[in-house]
Amino acid sequence: MRMLLLLWSLGPLLWQLYSSLITPEALVDPQAVPAGAFWTLTNYQQLLQADPPFWQYLLNSTLLGTLSTALTLALAVPCAYGLQRQRGRLRWGATLLLLGAAIFPTVLLFLPLLQLARALGLGNHLLALALPYAALNLPLAVLLLRAAFAALPPELEDAALLEGLDLPARLRHVLLPLLAPTLGSTAILVFLFSWNEYPIALTWLSRPELLTLPPAIARIAGSSLFTVPYGAFAAATVLGSLPLLLIVLVFQRSIISGLTQGAVKG
Amino acid sequence: MTRSWRPSLLMLPALALLAVVFLWPLLQVAWLSSQASSVLTGLTPVANNGANWQRLLADGRFWSDARFTLRFALVSVALELLLGLGMALLMHRPGQGRGLLRAAVLLPWALPGTVLALGWRWIFNDPYGPLNTLIQSLGGQPYGFLATPSTTWLFVVLADVWKSTPFVALLLLAGLQSIPAELEECLRLEGAGGLQILRRLTLPLLTPWITLAMIFRLAQALGLFDLVQVLTRGGPAGSTESLALYAYLQAMRFLDFGYTATVVLATFLLLALLTLLGLAMLRRRPGQPASQEPGLP
Repeated sequence: MRMLLLLWSLGPLLWQLYSSLITPEALVDPQAVPAGAFWTLTNYQQLLQADPPFWQYLLNSTLLGTLSTALTLALAVPCAYGLQRQRGRLRWGATLLLLGAAIFPTVLLFLPLLQLARALGLGNHLLALALPYAALNLPLAVLLLRAAFAALPPELEDAALLEGLDLPARLRHVLLPLLAPTLGSTAILVFLFSWNEYPIALTWLSRPELLTLPPAIARIAGSSLFTVPYGAFAAATVLGSLPLLLIVLVFQRSIISGLTQGAVKG
Repeated sequence: MTRSWRPSLLMLPALALLAVVFLWPLLQVAWLSSQASSVLTGLTPVANNGANWQRLLADGRFWSDARFTLRFALVSVALELLLGLGMALLMHRPGQGRGLLRAAVLLPWALPGTVLALGWRWIFNDPYGPLNTLIQSLGGQPYGFLATPSTTWLFVVLADVWKSTPFVALLLLAGLQSIPAELEECLRLEGAGGLQILRRLTLPLLTPWITLAMIFRLAQALGLFDLVQVLTRGGPAGSTESLALYAYLQAMRFLDFGYTATVVLATFLLLALLTLLGLAMLRRRPGQPASQEPGLP
């Protein structure tokens, strides 16, 4: 059963890997190809030598993901702390609203956000996307961090207060070190969501060298640059999956705890 | 010098950004849906007395897209819950390599929708894709997975189930882990079999988690966009055009912003209605120990 589950999860990806490493002729009819003309790296060469090269998209996604994550945490930490210090109804209502925003499909916001980008001249500025990305990720980040603040014993902060530490000092020296696991899983989830966001990146960016990975992949899908393009498609799929494979392997535990805490403690 | 840090003040920057990115767009869409704003008006909004809504009611394409979106969401979420439960039960059992198994299961969920859509396009390719190669090697005729209007939506469902089941499974796994092992032990001592335990203990205690996963997934599935935009472009013959894709095309291809806003708002209302229905289901459940309930109020 476990093997079946592994096969279901990884099979399609392994097939992409295989398809990306063989020649177009082998893709069409594996039996008709002489042994020497089966395996190839040209699909990857094509992608990496295209204009712009494929790694540019990965770099763009990484830059934007990092900035979005930093901005989200910078806004979410004080907000979560403040929310936790609110009383009764207000906290309850705000939590409900945040939960609603967290499950809202962001694609429905694309038109007004596009108009906003045009009005403010933010179109085709890669890093400007960090603003909507931070906002879209804030609900989840605030919910996760608020629950973590709530789980800390209140005596801890009282003691720091008696020592005369002001709020920034209390956060830096007392509270945030204890929240490190939650901060970590929140950061990784925000990074993943920013890395994968499509509709807003699609409408805000049009210059090819600024594209993040998802619209770049869609652009490759729509292009007829390659005669039998599926080898290149498969190579793009593999290159687009590799960074996430690394992230998932390294941070598996944090991602899962963030995901489930987010749903449970919200 | 002491500065006072009022809670509301601390929340202000985040709330301000949320208002700009969530609240303002919703108000904007609500207002724009009552305006004509297209190439015909030089893209300047002009009030048009609800003509957008009349057009929506008579727009066959909108309603057929709504039917597809709804059918897609209901079928794929149902399958994801069923398969997700199976996956969660499987991952819950002790055994070797649990970490690696979880990482492997998590991977499809972590991939960008466009990347996996591109991957599935090759797998469904007619006639060279692996599925058709398999069919042909078994002596069959290649099948137009993405070119048959009556069945293509099923393969969109398959691709979505592949990507989203891990999310459901991980949520249900957390639910399973919150059930004390002693309860299962008790039932087992009373002579209950595996299926009986599942029906009498596991499923009832898991219900809030299942409902929660359902609400999350339903909202996301009704906003289907990335997958169909790359996998099928809404085709063949518009049979897999989701409401979000229709709104996107109205804006970017036909430059009809007033009507786009109407489509977006109608989609949002549909979504809100279904989510509230789901929430009502969640609240109707009989109470359980507070520590085991997910945090929805």
